[in-house]
Amino acid sequence: MRFWSLFSRNIKETYRDAMALGFLLAFPLVFMLLFGVALGGDGKVSYSIGVVDNNQSDVSQSYISDALGAADVLSVKVYSNTDNAMEDLRLGNISSYIVIPDGFGEQVATIWQKMPGNIELNITYDESNLSASSNVISIINSITRSFAGIEIPITINTNPINIETKITQIDFIAPGIIIFGLLIMIPTAGRIMMHDKDTRFLHRMMTTPTRPWEFIVSYSLSMATIAVIQVVIFLLLGWWFGMDIVGSVWLAFAIFVLTGLCSIGIGMVVASLAKSENQGEALSWLFSMPLAIISGLWFPIEYMPSYVRTFADLFPYSHATEAARAVIIRGVGMEAISTDFLVLIIWTGGIFIIGTFLFRRKMKS
Amino acid sequence: MITNNPLSVRKPDDSFAIQTFDLTRIFGKLVAVDGINLDIKKGELFAFLGPNGAGKTTTISMLCCLLKPSSGTALVMGNDINKDPYKVKAAIGISPQDTTLSDHLNPIENLELFGSMHQLPPKIVKQRAKELVETMGLSDRAKDQVKKFSGGMKRRLNIAMALISDPQLVILDEPTLGLDPQSRRAVWKYIARLKKEKTILLTTHYLEEADFLADRIGIIDEGKIVAFGTPVELKTSMIDTHTIIIKAWNLTQKTIMEMKEKYEDVQITDGTMTITDKRVNFQEIVDHLHNAGTIIRSAYIKEPTLDDVFIKITGKELRE
Repeated sequence: MRFWSLFSRNIKETYRDAMALGFLLAFPLVFMLLFGVALGGDGKVSYSIGVVDNNQSDVSQSYISDALGAADVLSVKVYSNTDNAMEDLRLGNISSYIVIPDGFGEQVATIWQKMPGNIELNITYDESNLSASSNVISIINSITRSFAGIEIPITINTNPINIETKITQIDFIAPGIIIFGLLIMIPTAGRIMMHDKDTRFLHRMMTTPTRPWEFIVSYSLSMATIAVIQVVIFLLLGWWFGMDIVGSVWLAFAIFVLTGLCSIGIGMVVASLAKSENQGEALSWLFSMPLAIISGLWFPIEYMPSYVRTFADLFPYSHATEAARAVIIRGVGMEAISTDFLVLIIWTGGIFIIGTFLFRRKMKS
Repeated sequence: MITNNPLSVRKPDDSFAIQTFDLTRIFGKLVAVDGINLDIKKGELFAFLGPNGAGKTTTISMLCCLLKPSSGTALVMGNDINKDPYKVKAAIGISPQDTTLSDHLNPIENLELFGSMHQLPPKIVKQRAKELVETMGLSDRAKDQVKKFSGGMKRRLNIAMALISDPQLVILDEPTLGLDPQSRRAVWKYIARLKKEKTILLTTHYLEEADFLADRIGIIDEGKIVAFGTPVELKTSMIDTHTIIIKAWNLTQKTIMEMKEKYEDVQITDGTMTITDKRVNFQEIVDHLHNAGTIIRSAYIKEPTLDDVFIKITGKELRE
């Protein structure tokens, strides 16, 4: 009863607070919209790529002319060897080049025959042109995968094996945006606790016979509920913008909820350490934004120096992003993301224990 | 061996709502509350009077079990603040000095929240919340979030929150702080009504508030109780001089000299003579002036105020 009243009060306080609601919903929505519009539109962007065909089979020829050559966003230039391609890449005439290895045709043919197979392509790209190369990689990915699914006379099978039907930009960026939305729950989560402490409302509540654990549990559970609501909203938004979840929706959901819980735990720690609401919020943002960048939420993490990656991997968000992308884009199951998932669980458990301990200490002061 | 056990001096007594026993709180080098021994009777309105920083709020915080005493203890409605904090909390309702409400809830929701934190049945809480909102004149704003309320409305709700659990003891910490005179009067009126039903501990640094409302007053300064009693007792026992103020035409130098010879303190400003002494006879002074040919416009005895008491005891003005 007592706990329930506190719980519903916290939910009301959050959803009736325009600022909190803004950060929770409007901010990620705007990001999603911006990216959705930016990437979903029909703007005529075209990337020049090079192809070196080491396979020289009918399949590889058809791949170059019918798949790559048919894509509006690509203009394809065929090179006889990698040296020439590299030369043009250096000059900036092309943004990247693909080397089709020997055996490509056989592999594709195997997949067409509904047998397990791996398509291997070597892509060399211009590292200085970050967004172009990540776009090109994802476009080539998408084209190759749909090429592998093209019907040919020999087999009737159209389903490519262990790859999705169509990868789009939104599939690649949506998990990042959702994780971002959950990451910025750090400032929001601590907000109500810091506010109650600052305004001395917590003190006032502590003049009632309510036990300290009831406060802590009601704060954490109300925020956990908010996290679940957030995840549902984000998944619906992602779906709206055309994100396909190839793997298990429940697994994706679990990854996101754990990520949300980590943010709440961190928010609780910040709330306990900060001297005031203002200081706490500033601290949270100072912490959240760089973390969003180095965790690969916006840009593929592969481009980052290894020490930055190592540092980012200490936090849960790079693991969450990796795992979410693997499930959403590549459709993998739990076995493929078990390490990342374990990191999330350990983080959630650990940060909640620390947060509870610190907040209890703060309540006593 | 002589023990310093305060309980050996004063015994716990059921007729008291609050008894403190050498209640002390030290912050670093500052002794905020310095061994207070206080008995507050059940059913009375006790005003705790003192300048800012005197130790009022620290005392209240200890009585509400928000702050542990450095030494000593207190019994609140028979429960020891050190041993049974939750029983103490269940018996009291507090309206803190800062108006603290849940901003995005409406007054009914705020009241219901506190009612349920006291674990009262929802039906009773609903009923009582409705009544309190009506009593406090907030009915027409009952559905509005309290962040939109004026200072006076928030203050009234702040007091109502202390009453939702129908506590035996109500603690009002500076209930009219920062209110305009009109709102202050309205709050006083309500407290005066409440007085008959509950034991009330009120802290204030408005002397007229204490004078108007309190059955008994404790004056606290630098962490110590420096005076204690009913307003009348304080005024009569502390102030042993009397003051007569006379406004008159044609006060001659001779008359003034005669008065100065006779009384301890005689001051003249703008045809007003203020005579202060331990023994002043109103009739005698008026007759004397009359016989000297002075035309008296008005003459009255100035009653001592709590202000005088306070200045006399602490040597400082109460208001900052």
